[in-house]
Amino acid sequence: MPALLEMKSIHKVYPNGTVANRGVDFSVEEGEIHALVGENGAGKSTLMKILFGLEAPTRGSISFKGQSVSFQGPRDAIKHGMGMVHQHFMLAPSLTVSENIVLGEEPAKGVLSLFRDRAKEQERVAGLIRDYGLKVDPEARADTIPVGQKQRVEILKVLYRGAKLIILDEPTAVLTPQETDELFDSLKSLVRQGHTIIFITHKLREVMQISHRVTVLRGGQSIATLVTKETHQEEISRLMVGREVLFRVQKTPARPEETVLSVRGLAALDDKGVPAIRQVSFRVRAGEILGIAGVEGNGQTQLVETITGLRRAVSGEIRYLDQELRNLSVAQIRAFQIGHIPEDRQTSGACLTSTIADNLMLDHYRNPGFKIGPLLRKKKIRQFAKSAMEMFDVRAASEQTMAGALSGGNLQKVVVARELSKNPKLLVASQPTRGVDIGAIEFIHREIIKRRDAGAAVLLVSAELSEIMALSDRIAVLYNGEIVALLDNTPDLTEQELGYYMLGIKTQEVASQ
Amino acid sequence: MVVWQTIWSQIMDLTLIVVLLRFMTPILLTALGGLISDIGGVINIGLEGLMLLSAFTSIAVASGTDSWLLGVLAGVAASVLICYGMGFFAIRLKVDIIIAGFAVNIFGSGFTIFLMSKIYGLTGNYNPTGAPKIPLVDIPFVQDVPVLGKLLSGHSLMEWIAFLSVVFCIVLIYRTPYGVHLRAVGEAPQAARSLGIPVERVQYSALAWSGVFAGLAGAFLSNGLTNMFVKDMTAGTGFLALAVVLLGNRNPAGILIGSLIFGLASALTTIVQTIPGSPVPSQFIQMIPYVVTIAALVFFALRKKRRLEIAA
Amino acid sequence: MKTGKALYLELAGIAAAVFAALLCGFIVILLTSKEPLSAISALVMDPLANSFNIGTILNKAVPLMLTGLAISVVFQAGVFSMGAEGQLYVGGFLGSLAAVYVPGLPVWVHLPLILACAVLGGALFGAIPGALKAYWNADEIVTTLMLNFIAILTTSYLVNNVFKDPESGGYARMPYIDPGLLLGKIVPGFSAHAGLLVALGAVAVVYMLLYHTSIGYELRLVGKNPQFAKYGGIATPRVIVLSIVISGALAGLAGIVEILGIHSTYKDNFSAGLGFDGIIIALLARNHPIGVLAASLFYAYLQVGAQTMQVGSDMPREVAVIIQVLLVLFVSSQAIFAYIKQKFVSGQKAVG
Repeated sequence: MPALLEMKSIHKVYPNGTVANRGVDFSVEEGEIHALVGENGAGKSTLMKILFGLEAPTRGSISFKGQSVSFQGPRDAIKHGMGMVHQHFMLAPSLTVSENIVLGEEPAKGVLSLFRDRAKEQERVAGLIRDYGLKVDPEARADTIPVGQKQRVEILKVLYRGAKLIILDEPTAVLTPQETDELFDSLKSLVRQGHTIIFITHKLREVMQISHRVTVLRGGQSIATLVTKETHQEEISRLMVGREVLFRVQKTPARPEETVLSVRGLAALDDKGVPAIRQVSFRVRAGEILGIAGVEGNGQTQLVETITGLRRAVSGEIRYLDQELRNLSVAQIRAFQIGHIPEDRQTSGACLTSTIADNLMLDHYRNPGFKIGPLLRKKKIRQFAKSAMEMFDVRAASEQTMAGALSGGNLQKVVVARELSKNPKLLVASQPTRGVDIGAIEFIHREIIKRRDAGAAVLLVSAELSEIMALSDRIAVLYNGEIVALLDNTPDLTEQELGYYMLGIKTQEVASQ
Repeated sequence: MVVWQTIWSQIMDLTLIVVLLRFMTPILLTALGGLISDIGGVINIGLEGLMLLSAFTSIAVASGTDSWLLGVLAGVAASVLICYGMGFFAIRLKVDIIIAGFAVNIFGSGFTIFLMSKIYGLTGNYNPTGAPKIPLVDIPFVQDVPVLGKLLSGHSLMEWIAFLSVVFCIVLIYRTPYGVHLRAVGEAPQAARSLGIPVERVQYSALAWSGVFAGLAGAFLSNGLTNMFVKDMTAGTGFLALAVVLLGNRNPAGILIGSLIFGLASALTTIVQTIPGSPVPSQFIQMIPYVVTIAALVFFALRKKRRLEIAA
Repeated sequence: MKTGKALYLELAGIAAAVFAALLCGFIVILLTSKEPLSAISALVMDPLANSFNIGTILNKAVPLMLTGLAISVVFQAGVFSMGAEGQLYVGGFLGSLAAVYVPGLPVWVHLPLILACAVLGGALFGAIPGALKAYWNADEIVTTLMLNFIAILTTSYLVNNVFKDPESGGYARMPYIDPGLLLGKIVPGFSAHAGLLVALGAVAVVYMLLYHTSIGYELRLVGKNPQFAKYGGIATPRVIVLSIVISGALAGLAGIVEILGIHSTYKDNFSAGLGFDGIIIALLARNHPIGVLAASLFYAYLQVGAQTMQVGSDMPREVAVIIQVLLVLFVSSQAIFAYIKQKFVSGQKAVG
């Protein structure tokens, strides 16, 4: 039986000379869940954009349902029965769930079908929700529903358009283990109802759990297609990076000393004025890493912002050594030996349209050592930037290179270099390795542990449970703005158990410290 | 005080309302145009220039063809044409939309003077004799009823069109698939594109709509409100319309109310200006809409802030 | 800061945009003029034909440089102020008051006082929309446009009713300023006035401010990425206000220099859009002070050319407006510049 989708020797060279795909072969059979894995920059997204008609391939052929196709745009792809669920949700925030689902193909009525047929719209959306068991309120505004439901809306959008082949781009990145399980159940039922699924991920556990076959991309080439049952995680990861990857970070047991950061009864609001964290208490000692686990959106962002002075606390105290930080400005807090790796390097952590040197200068430009009177000592700043880049293995032409030209990993190293170059006593690291390649992840993990061993207190916030478990000495679980568990990271602690706390199914009596 | 008596008497005999309706029409129309482009994510600050181009084209064609209808249509067409040009630069050549609008304003002001000078050899104003005006609508029977007659009858056709346009915009934005596409394109262009909605085409069309409405408003200035073209005769109406879009909270009904307030300020200015020996200098009365706009912006911002604090 | 090659490409692109805009202007002239060649010649050659015209170019470039700098500073801070026009009026007005109504000071005290009043006036008037944006998030495009009208109408009222020289007749102006206080010619016999030196000094000061001081660093960061600036502890609202205050100061300076160099006293509606020209200059200059210098000279040349063309042919000077508009659009086209870069940089980049 011929494959449902056949992509042959796909090449893609971008106009600026970047080669994203160099001869990718990819074939998907009807009724399977096919995982597509690879590091960042391996060419997964480009391949899918080509498939979906968002980019034109430089060379290569695509056939779908046995006939050769070349899509001019997403509309073409949709018409042929393909659908894509993007990694970043593509919902218009002020439209309702239902309006988002039918967007672009609204049922119409009246003269020349000029008007929306709301009744028919409601009926069809309700029907879809019922048929596929994807529960969501169709009349809610899209920006008011939780992440898991947004994803369901995305899947409903695709189904509404009659997609047979559904592409999911890293769908579990923002989900809890339990939500992930629910998603997987839905995917299995979709396959039973005759759909075919391409599942893009870099989480090998999920590949093993859900897929029938897996294709590995590396450096823009397809390395292998394997039957999942006949392979194992280590083999796939070796194919992905071309070398063995250490899944556990090497580290010695922590030797915690004096308390560096002590948070007591802290409460703060989110941007809409709704309480985001309430009565949060914990402490971080010198020489230990406290990991904050939790599903995104449970107050992690506001917790970090409140500690680093970006957000006002409603009540509580934040003590750094002997200094109360609450109500101090960001500038005052940054004047201490406190480093902060923010969760989003693209917007908060770096200025993409400035040079690497200008990015590294933040904080230091206030330092009298870099100034003569009101004037900045440009030469000295450049020297400082050069040495920081060398120390943190930032690969770029020069310190005058624009930060926006760097890869995710290199850019994150610039952020880490800046925050560690002030030799912090306290390091607040939020999603420190999100979206960077495995090489950079290893490097950043090693740096964080090095700081811990040198006596820094580290507060680590990550949505990546494996990262929390690999690095932390102790783990606090944040659920709905409260700390519901505070655990020692012992080898018998499982992801499953943490997941129960993250979803609020289990709560621990946390003794206030 | 004579002034207050005069104003009072004009309120009583409904002149104020008649003048108010006349003055709010160009603001309302232009603001509706600004609204549609705003919703589509292509903020058009070139409304002022578009109005000028339409005002000139419309009276030139009207006096040339002896038809007000052809004049208005030509004015709208000119305005829409420039909008497509603006769209070409903003969407295709990726000029910042604010800069493109700014350029349209300079162009509108300069090009109308250029045309006036090349075609008629004039530099200040063009005052054709006997150019047909947009007609007034006299409603039989109603016009003879006291009060009601003055309120409903005898208004320019364009004033009626302006009110109908509010309804038209409500239907367009909320009741048609196009309106949903427009909102989606403005809020989440990537999402719209991923569903095969032609984002650029929708943006062009949003600009074109703003051209239609600014064009109608411009034609009314030269062919209805007055019967001449004066260089830079819009005198900031396009900018006021921008402010009205913000004040109206980006919906047609809000814009109607905003336009009423601005129309009232303009109407008062005119009435007071015509009274000899007015104790209020005309410059300060002219200033009212600008001060109101700033005050309203501050008021809205404060209210938003307070709402946040109450929510907290 | 750009690396050498990128800078050259940028400059080449701007040169191409200038050329294309001029070409379009020529085409309009060819299509509409009965004597196109003499019109084009009058536009292009006459401004440089004699030293008087060259002096006029320099004099016209002076306020453009100052308002161009004013707008560049706010644009670099990411504030879309269109308020230079109003600030210029307020600055020019207060400076003129100090010049006309403060008696009996020696010139070396009086002149700095006049400049200080103008600078302060512009700066304070700029602080209004700055504070409105920084603390209440009121859209600065709208507030500055509205404040322009308010400034123009208020000064117009004052010069018509309160400070009017009784001898000025129908055209309202203040009494003439003591000639000893006016900006004289730099070189006797050449019409360029000393405001040029002020403007050149301002270019140097703004350059240093933006690229070599911590204030400039903060200002540029706020413009490029406000979230990053906030994360770095930069008080964004303060920087926003400061940027528009500096901008207002420069616009106020532009107003008083224009008055002391050209008009000899405050005249009603004396600016006629210099503040808006500043926006064009800043766009052409990519908000860079050195670019402002070049763009002002070119723009002044074009204005004088339009004037000489109106005198020397059947074309109205508004042809220059068409050239200006296209110039702004071409120079601001990110697509054109991305295309140029891609065309010349492609093939060098390794695998991404």
